[in-house]
Amino acid sequence: MNRSLVILLGALALGAAVFTGSYLVSQRACLMTRSADDLSWLRDEFHLGDAEMARVRQLHEGYMPQCAKMCALLAAKKGEVQAALAGGTNITAEAQKKLTELGELRAQCQAQMLQHFIIVSQAMPPEQGRRYLAEMKQLTLGSHEEIEQSMSDHAGHEHGTN
Amino acid sequence: MKENMNPADTKFHEVLRTARPSPSLPPRFQENVWRRIEDAEAPAKSGSWLDAFAALVLRPRFAYATVATLVLAGVLLGTYQGAQTAKQNEQARYVALVAPNPLR
Repeated sequence: MNRSLVILLGALALGAAVFTGSYLVSQRACLMTRSADDLSWLRDEFHLGDAEMARVRQLHEGYMPQCAKMCALLAAKKGEVQAALAGGTNITAEAQKKLTELGELRAQCQAQMLQHFIIVSQAMPPEQGRRYLAEMKQLTLGSHEEIEQSMSDHAGHEHGTN
Repeated sequence: MKENMNPADTKFHEVLRTARPSPSLPPRFQENVWRRIEDAEAPAKSGSWLDAFAALVLRPRFAYATVATLVLAGVLLGTYQGAQTAKQNEQARYVALVAPNPLR
């Protein structure tokens, strides 16, 4: 092979190795230096001061037991729904009742969660609070909206073809 | 030099030259000689752009500058990507805490 070509290919490989190595090392270093605090995202993203963080932390710690309790209730209700649906080919009145209860419980949990978001947003500076609330709604309820939107789009197409 | 030569030597050289006549020079001999001298004195030129580029790559100044640029670019991009990934991880961790999957 041409000597010049070998030199250029070697230089290219060396350059790629140097770039990749420095990229990976700095990326890893950046990830390792981040805080392990569960609320560090709030501090960084919404530029919260110590006093605001203390208030947000207090609210967070107050909400977590409620959240865990609701999750346990939901898990239990899901178990009941599974039991009511097991073995049957039709949805029985009992299964229908359990599904309704599950839906109600889930709505109750979501309302409690949104209430927590609202309270936390009020502990932040107004602009950051609005941004936090919008982002949390998007992150938690956005998937439902997307599903419902896709379902209504689909239904619209169906009607359009009829 | 010639002045120091023995007259007998001079005569001998004269006889030798007439005995072996030098062939006539090829056309433009002198011009070609000068051109070759100039080419030899000029900096070495590569045969193709590949050779020229390889020669450039092998220059220490160019090599150091390239390595420094690549390291800097890698560090900057790695730090940026690391910060973005860390931010996404922290966000996901917070959301998973306050809004576990059953609630979403």
